[in-house]
Amino acid sequence: MHYKVTHSTVYQYNEPVSLCHNLALLKPRSTATQICHKTQLDITPLPDIINEYEDFFGNKATYFAIQQEHKKLVVTVTSFIENTNTRASLFNFFESAAWEEAKKHIADPMPENAEIRQYITETPMTTYNEDIKAYALASFTPGRALFDSANDLMQRIYADFRYTPGFTTIATPVADVMKRRRGVCQDFAHLAIACIRSLGLPARYVSGYIETVPEGGAPKLTGADASHAWFSIFIPGTGWVDFDPTNNQIPSFQHITIAWGRDYTDVTPLKGVILSSGKHKLDVAVSVTRM
Amino acid sequence: MTANTPEASFIEHFLNPNYSYAEFVGKDANLQPHWNTFFNSLSGFSPSDIEARRQDIFRMLRENGVTYNIYGDPSGLNRPWNLDIIPYLIDKTEWATIESGLVQRAELLNLILKDIYGERRLVRNGILPAELIYNHIGFLRQCVGVKQLHQRSLILYSADLARSTNGSVWVLNDRTQAPSGSGYALENRITMARVLPELFNDLQVRHLSAYFETLRQSLHEIAPVKKQDTRIVILTPGPSNETYFEHSYLSTYMGFTLVQGDDLMVIDNHVWLKTLGGLEKVDVILRRVDDSFCDPLELKDDSKLGVPGLMQAVRSGNVSIANPLGSGILENPGLMPFMQSMSRYFLNQDLVLPSIASWWCGQPKEMQYVLDNIQSLVIKKIHKVSRASTSVDGASLTEKQIEDLKQSIKAHPYLYVGQEKISITSTPSFINGKIEPRTALFRTYLTSNTYSYTALSGGLTRTAPNNNFLISNQLGSISKDTWVIAPEDEYRTIMPKDQIEVVASKKGDITSRTAENLFWVGRYAERVLGTARFLRTVMRFITEGNRHSQSNDIETEQHLLEALTHYTVTYPGFLEDAEKKFANPWSELNSILFDEQRSGSLVYNFRLFCRVVYAERDHWSTDTWRVIWSMENVLKGTYASDTTHIRALNVLDSIITSMVAFIGLNRESISREQGWIMLDMGRKIEQCMLLTSMLRSTLVNKHDEQVDYNLQEAVLKSNETLVNYRYKYRVHIQHTLVLELMLLDPNNPRSIIYQLDRLKAYLSNLPKLQDGFSLQPHEKLIFEAYSLLKLANREQLSTPDETGAQFKLLDEFLEKLYDLLFNITGAVSKLYFKHAQKQKQLFSAESF
Repeated sequence: MHYKVTHSTVYQYNEPVSLCHNLALLKPRSTATQICHKTQLDITPLPDIINEYEDFFGNKATYFAIQQEHKKLVVTVTSFIENTNTRASLFNFFESAAWEEAKKHIADPMPENAEIRQYITETPMTTYNEDIKAYALASFTPGRALFDSANDLMQRIYADFRYTPGFTTIATPVADVMKRRRGVCQDFAHLAIACIRSLGLPARYVSGYIETVPEGGAPKLTGADASHAWFSIFIPGTGWVDFDPTNNQIPSFQHITIAWGRDYTDVTPLKGVILSSGKHKLDVAVSVTRM
Repeated sequence: MTANTPEASFIEHFLNPNYSYAEFVGKDANLQPHWNTFFNSLSGFSPSDIEARRQDIFRMLRENGVTYNIYGDPSGLNRPWNLDIIPYLIDKTEWATIESGLVQRAELLNLILKDIYGERRLVRNGILPAELIYNHIGFLRQCVGVKQLHQRSLILYSADLARSTNGSVWVLNDRTQAPSGSGYALENRITMARVLPELFNDLQVRHLSAYFETLRQSLHEIAPVKKQDTRIVILTPGPSNETYFEHSYLSTYMGFTLVQGDDLMVIDNHVWLKTLGGLEKVDVILRRVDDSFCDPLELKDDSKLGVPGLMQAVRSGNVSIANPLGSGILENPGLMPFMQSMSRYFLNQDLVLPSIASWWCGQPKEMQYVLDNIQSLVIKKIHKVSRASTSVDGASLTEKQIEDLKQSIKAHPYLYVGQEKISITSTPSFINGKIEPRTALFRTYLTSNTYSYTALSGGLTRTAPNNNFLISNQLGSISKDTWVIAPEDEYRTIMPKDQIEVVASKKGDITSRTAENLFWVGRYAERVLGTARFLRTVMRFITEGNRHSQSNDIETEQHLLEALTHYTVTYPGFLEDAEKKFANPWSELNSILFDEQRSGSLVYNFRLFCRVVYAERDHWSTDTWRVIWSMENVLKGTYASDTTHIRALNVLDSIITSMVAFIGLNRESISREQGWIMLDMGRKIEQCMLLTSMLRSTLVNKHDEQVDYNLQEAVLKSNETLVNYRYKYRVHIQHTLVLELMLLDPNNPRSIIYQLDRLKAYLSNLPKLQDGFSLQPHEKLIFEAYSLLKLANREQLSTPDETGAQFKLLDEFLEKLYDLLFNITGAVSKLYFKHAQKQKQLFSAESF
C-alpha cells in the first residue's frame, strides 16, 4: 500500500518572535513493515540553521532555528510511505508463549536484551499504581500467552474507555485517565504501556498517522485528521508488535509509523523554544492519502 | 621531627575532659607527631587569644562575603560560613595513597563516561547491568553519540572520602556533574593563613594553587578552536543557588565571566554571550547547572536555567562544556559494586582506594541481602529526584519505616543500593571553647591535565554539628581547612603562595545582565535614600512642629503625609481613612518604614536593593560590604510594631549615612568603567523620577502662604538643598526660585537638568549597537526631556491658573517630564538588557 502524508503545523504569534529553536520528529522512519521512500520538510520562514540526525531510538530528528523576526511559522512535512504489512503473516509464531515465560526470557542478561529492557521502566508519563496493575492483571492471567494478554488489554481499553477529545491534556497523569475512563489516543497508549510495565514487561510508545477514509463503506476510524499514537510490546523470538487501543485494532495497512520511544516525551512531533512575550495560536492539519 | 605532647595546662584548658589527648590524636603513628606540633603551636595562645582569632575568622569570612544558601528557608539565604580553627590533617604517606587512588578513579570514570555515551561496551559485554545505566536519571539519551573530542571527557572530578577507624580511606561518593566546594576550600585556606599564620610555621602544608592553575589550563585546552582569546564562562543557576558565593568567587579568581542561562544564546550552532556591546562567542562553559537543566529544548523543558539549543551547539562541536552534559550518570552509587571489575576491564588494575561495600538491589541476590540486613546498612537511591536526601541510615528507622522502605525496594529494586556503614574516625574540633572529637568527611577535587589528572592537595572537610552519621551543608555543618602535610612536588612551583589574584580587568564588555543589575542597584540605592530622606523630613516636621496648636502646621503636615504616599507609591496610605491617620500618623509611618511585605516601604526597597547587590557580589569591595552589612544590621530586628519615633529617626539617619557611603565608595572602587556608568545611570534616572514625583505632590497646588512655605522648605530639606538655596538666593523661600533650583539650575547637582545632562553623556558613552548617525530611541527621548527643561520658563511654570488654586502648567510640565523619563528607562532596557523577552515553550498538537 502506498500513501502520501501531508502534515502541517502553523504557529501564529501576536508579538514578533526574534529567535526560535525547534526540534521536529516528523520524518517517518523506515521499519520492518514500512518503507519511507521520500520525506521532505518545508519550513517558512526559511530556517537559518537545519541539523538532521538520528536520535537515540533511531528516529529521524530535525533541529532548525529561525534567527530573524517572524510572526508566523509553518512547518509542513510531506512523506511517501509504502506499507509492506508483513506483520499479519507472523501471528502464528508467538501465540503460544505465556507472558511469564516472555518476562523471564527478557530478564536474561543477554546483550540483545539490554536495549529492550529500558522499556520496562516507568516514566513520568507512564507511572503506574495498584489500580493500573489490577486492571492489567485482569488481562494478563496466569499462563496466558503474551500476545493474547496484550490483545485482550487493548480490547478492554477500547470497551471500557470513552474517546473524548479535550477531556485530557498532555499533562494528565495516567492514574486520572484510569479513574475517569476517558481520554484520547495518547492517553490510551500511555495507559496500556503503564499496565504492561507494571508487570515488569517492556512496552513502547509509537507515534504516527492513521488513514481515515477506508474503502468499501467500512466504519470511519477515530483519530481522523491528526497524528495518532499507539503502543507496542516485545515478544521474544518475534520482535515488537503494535496494538492500537483507540481503534481496537492491530495496526496493519492503515497505520504509518513516524517514531518510537519510551513515551510521548521521547517522540514529541514538534517542540520549540521561542523568545517572545506574547501569545500564540496553533493549527495542525494532517492528510493521509492512498496513492 | 618529633614533637612532644602539648603542655598539661593547655590540655586542661581546652580538652573536653571526657576524652584523653591520645584519643583525640588517634592511633595513626604518622599523624601523631603532626598533631603534637600543631597543638604545641596552638598552646602558645591563651584562651582569650583563641577566641579573638575565632572572631577574626568569622569577621574575615563575612567580610569576604563567604556564605552558603539553605534551600527552603527564607532566612537561610546567605548564611555565613562556619570554619573551625583546627584543620583536618593528612600526612604524606596517606596522601600518596589518596592521590594515586583518586587519579586512578578519575581515569576510570572518564573511560566509563566515554563508553556509556559511545560504544556502550560495558553494557553489551555484561560488565554493567543495563538497568543501572538506562534507568538512571543522569543517563541522557540526547548525549549518546556526541563526538568526543578529547582524550579526557571528564574534566572535573570530586570525591567524598572518609577515614575509617581501621585507618583506611574510603570513597563514599563520586561527584562528576558540577562538583562544588573547591572555592570554599580555597577561601578556608586563605582565611586560616591570614588569621593563624603561626600554626603553619612548623608544618609543611601543601599549597592549593596548582589545582586551580591546572584547571585554568585544562579549560583552555578543551576549547573547540585554538585561539588567543578563548572565552570561558561559568554558568551558574543564579544568586539563590546554595553555592552561589563560590560561583562568583571562582569567577573572580579564575577571571572567567559569571553568567546565567539567559545571558547566553545559541545562534548559528554557536553559543554567544549577551554583553553591553553586543554578542560575543563563547568557547568553553564551566557549568554549575545540573545536566538536565542546561537545555530546555532537548532536556528538561521547563528549565529556566539553561540555554535553548545548547545541545545542538555541543553536537556541532562548537562549544565545550566541563563537565560534559550527561556526566551525571556517574553520580550513581549503584556503580560502586562494579568499580573493581570495571577497573580490571579498562585498566587491568585493582582499585587503589576501595569503594565502600555496596549491594545494588537490581540483582535478586543482592536485593535479598539488603532486605535481610537493612538495619545495619545505609540505603541510598541511585539518583536524586528531589532535594530530599537520598541516603538513610537503616538503624535510625522505626519498624514501620523499615517495612515501607522494604516495600519500596521490592517495587523498584533497581533504584536502591545498600551500603556498608563504616565507622568514621573522629578528628579534633573546636566546639564551644573546648576541643572535642567529631566525625569528619572530606571532599577533594581533581582536574584533567595534559597527561592525566591533578588533585587539589587539600580539600573541604566538614564535620557534623553533633556526632551524627550524615553530614551535609544543607543540614548544617562546620567546615575545616584540610592540610596535606608533605613537601611540595618539585614541578609544583608555578604559584608559590595561595594568593587571590584578582583579575581586575576582565576582557570585553560587561554582560547585559550585569549591566541591568547594576542599573537597578543604582535605582534602588536612590529609592532607599530618597525614601529615607523624605521620611526623615516628614517625621521631623511632625515631631518638631506645633501640630496641636498651629493650623498651618497641621495643614502642612497633612499635605506632606499625602505627598509621602504618592512618593513611595504606598497607596492608599494617607489618602484613605485620612482623618484617623492624620490624628495618629505613626502606625502608617512605621509601616512605610519597616513593613517588609509592603511594596514601596523602605525595608521592601532595601530588600530589592540587596537582591541585586548580592547578585553582583564580585563588584563590591570589602569596605562596601561593610557598609551593606551595617545597613542590614540596622534594619534587622526593627519592626513596625515596637519602634518609637526617636528610634525610627535614628534608623533613618544611619541608613542615609550608609547609603551615601555606599554610593561614594562605588565611585572609587567599582572595577569597571561600564559598571559605574550603569549604576550611576540608574541613580540619575531614579533621582529624576523621584524628584518629579515629589514636586508634583507638593508644589502644584497653591495653599495658604505659610503652608506653601513649609512645603517648599520640606522639598529643599529632603533634597539636601536648603543650604544651597540660602547661599545662592539669600532671600526668603519662593516658589519660582525653588522650581528654578530643583529643575533648571545646571549648577545644582540635585537639579533635574543636571542629572539629565549626565545621563546624556553616559548614554553617548555606551557601545553603539546600530550604525549610522540617526539617534537611537533612548537618545531621542533624552534630548526631548533635556530640551523640555532647557526651554522651560520659570515664571510661566510658577504662574497659577485662572482659579488661582493650581499651577496647571507646572503640573502638565511635570507629567510630561515623568512620562519621558519612564520611556527612557524602557528604551534603555529594550536595547541593552536582553532579558526582557521571556523564553516560552511551544508544543505541537496536544491531543489527537
